[in-house]
Amino acid sequence: MKAFSAIGARVIQTLFVLWAVVTILFFLFRLMPGSPLAAYIDPNFTPEQQDALMARFGLDKPLWQQYFIYLGNLLQGDLGESFFYRTSVADRIFALLPNTLILTFSSLILAYGIGVLAGAYLAWKRGGAVEQIAIPLVLTTRAMPEFWLGMILLAVFSFSLGWFPAGGTRPPGADYPTLWSLYTSADFWRHMTLPVLTLAIYAQGLPLLLMRSNMLDVMKEDFVTMARIKGLSSYSVVIRHAARNALLPVMTSFAIAVGYQIQGNVVVETVFSWPGLGRELVRAVSASDYPLAQGAFLMIAVVVIAMNLVADLLYAVLDPRVTRE
Amino acid sequence: MQSLLRATAWVALTAAAGIMPAMADPIRTINLFTRPQAAQPSEYQFVELIAQEWRKLGLDVNVQVMPWEQMSEIVWFKRDQWDTTAWQMVGRPERSDPDEIVFNLFHTSTAEKGFNFIGYNNPAYDALVEKQRAELDPEARKALVREAQAILAADQPNMMLVHPKSTYVYNAAVWKPESVVDQGGIGIRNTWTYMSLDPAGDKRDIVLNSSDTVRAINPLYISGGTDSWITELLWDRLMRVGPDGLPQLWAASAFEWIDTTTIKVTLREGMKWHDGQPVTAEDVKFSFEAAGSGEAPMYGPFVRNITGIETSGNDITFKLANPSAAFLTASLAKINLIPKHIWEPVIEDQKTKDTNAESYQEATPIGSGPFKFTSWTANEEVVLSANADHFNKPKADRWILRIVPNVEAALGMLKSGEINFLADFPGDPSVLNAAAAADPNLKVVSTVDIGFRYVAFNHRRAPFNDAAFRNALSAAVDRRLIVGAAFKGFAVPSNSVVSPALAFWHNEETGKMETGVDKAKAMLAAAGYTLEGGKLHYPAGVTETLK
Repeated sequence: MKAFSAIGARVIQTLFVLWAVVTILFFLFRLMPGSPLAAYIDPNFTPEQQDALMARFGLDKPLWQQYFIYLGNLLQGDLGESFFYRTSVADRIFALLPNTLILTFSSLILAYGIGVLAGAYLAWKRGGAVEQIAIPLVLTTRAMPEFWLGMILLAVFSFSLGWFPAGGTRPPGADYPTLWSLYTSADFWRHMTLPVLTLAIYAQGLPLLLMRSNMLDVMKEDFVTMARIKGLSSYSVVIRHAARNALLPVMTSFAIAVGYQIQGNVVVETVFSWPGLGRELVRAVSASDYPLAQGAFLMIAVVVIAMNLVADLLYAVLDPRVTRE
Repeated sequence: MQSLLRATAWVALTAAAGIMPAMADPIRTINLFTRPQAAQPSEYQFVELIAQEWRKLGLDVNVQVMPWEQMSEIVWFKRDQWDTTAWQMVGRPERSDPDEIVFNLFHTSTAEKGFNFIGYNNPAYDALVEKQRAELDPEARKALVREAQAILAADQPNMMLVHPKSTYVYNAAVWKPESVVDQGGIGIRNTWTYMSLDPAGDKRDIVLNSSDTVRAINPLYISGGTDSWITELLWDRLMRVGPDGLPQLWAASAFEWIDTTTIKVTLREGMKWHDGQPVTAEDVKFSFEAAGSGEAPMYGPFVRNITGIETSGNDITFKLANPSAAFLTASLAKINLIPKHIWEPVIEDQKTKDTNAESYQEATPIGSGPFKFTSWTANEEVVLSANADHFNKPKADRWILRIVPNVEAALGMLKSGEINFLADFPGDPSVLNAAAAADPNLKVVSTVDIGFRYVAFNHRRAPFNDAAFRNALSAAVDRRLIVGAAFKGFAVPSNSVVSPALAFWHNEETGKMETGVDKAKAMLAAAGYTLEGGKLHYPAGVTETLK
């Protein structure tokens, strides 16, 4: 019963957050300068067309009325129609979201895999020559802008060495009838290598440094000293005792990193011509395509909120103490 | 006594005359809009140059940088709230007929809400462009269009700057150079090139790039520049604008003016839709009716002049409300021919909804054009394949459009062979020459464009309502400076909205324009503008109303 009400509270809280996101997005875009009609300005653009477009986009009604119409449609699962494409926002988002998710999660898993191991290793080798080189190196990767790193990787591995293609998810004209057939093809992984590397090189710094400092704290704890006294091997002490405990905050940071990573995708998707949601988002915002921009941001908010929920639940599994009150 | 009075009066008068210039107001700070350097490097550069020259005349010039969406909102929807702005017209095949430009940009009827956003008002000009629109004799019309350009040159409603050169690159190891068609005013990126590109080796797919995404593939929706490359290949039109800029027969095998408002067009025999059904005169009639049905608002203006369409066998007869010289280019070469069996139910359905035909995306678009639709992957690529049944069937196998938002990557892809036709390069074109120098297979082709770049003056706001002032500001800037510094030589100076690429219509006399800061200063002085303390003032008696 108690668990049930806890979940209920959590759901209500989540819904409230979503409503707040929707409301802020709605007014934010409409307060920005720029008109959605800008894209149509042309010598043949007649006054009647302008009025028809305004009516068509529902922009002839007062703002509060537009807001309630939008909320009403949203409750029925209708994200509306894009001003720019004239087709369903939901269709557009779901066509692009998988590409963004696979890029985000592949790069994060790679970054966290490398980051956690390297962080643990560096904590173990505290004060050594390795640390002297590794820490400045990690800080450098953290400081490199993603678009710059992406262009460097393109120049070296694509244009000079020719190892990897320069953009897209598939070779020109390659026919993959389903997403699954695309994602399981060698072509796709070849195309994804450089964007994933770019994102991973940038993202690995956070888990690495976090893991290292957690490890340094944990290594000072009594149970680690106890393990050493018991005469356990270094491997057993570092990995089985210390690393498992140091991992907990890193897991939480993973969920938060998803949000940051999607933000990084905006840049990387443009550099590598990746057909994802991030690129679409930028275009939608700059073209005042309110329905699509709102829909895309909402979808990203949903992913981030869902990841936070997952992190909370995962935490309970990894560290049962948090569920006790 | 009398002489004393007279002397006093004389002194008073001269004193008044002496004070008069001081009574005129200084000209307020003039705003000049431009888009950001990152998005429009040439524009930003020429705006900085122009501001610098204008300042030498004693004007305070404030360069305001803003993104296109914001700029267009002010210029278009708040027509009395700006002074001057950089602006751009892009070249399109339909603009090979000068009517759209000389009429819509300057006619009084479009001043309130249409494209005459500068508020130019000249009844003599209005009468002239109305007359050229109705003149069916090309030679007589040519004289009128040239006269219109002369009026614009004298009035300087806008400060014309350049016609840029459209610059594209192809790989000569993949495509035979003699099969590339350089369309006047458009460049080598055109439908004719795509139909005639002849493989030089075993690669048979045209792979090209665009930095813009594809919005829709819809014959009833003018959705964007890149989209139009696709619609032109999938759907035929009765006529097509040829490589020489003049309309030529396409899906029509003949046309005949019965009288000044009646034209009979004969449909070519044996044409088929991509689904195998025959193309009929009924389909053609339906295509024009659909464009005017209200369900395709973007195409409405191109068929507004049609009052009736009749068919008989393979003949289609159009009845027009007014004689229209541009009808062949602006209507017959513009309206996509669409299959009635597919679109009639769609149009009927849309009439019952609050959306229109622009929202309808066919899963497999069906036209009758030289290429057939194969696939479209959102924000990544569009694949078309050659239509072997077409009367002008392409030599290449497929036409593959890759969406590449990263300009540098597009050039890299051209070098590495991932694409073989660079169809869109918003960056510095001199980079392309460097790439071609490094790889002899890369061929750069530059063509003077129909489109143009200019600075618009807002005639609603003094001092821009004064032709002498506009002339002086325009004369202050040497266009060669703009061509060299802002366009790296990839442009030609211009003083006419009708491009020299349209040799038939272009008035060469407009090019004889003297420029220089000293000349501009002399023009301002002659018109009564004065310099006081280095600041330009209005002529005597004119007050500043917009502070």
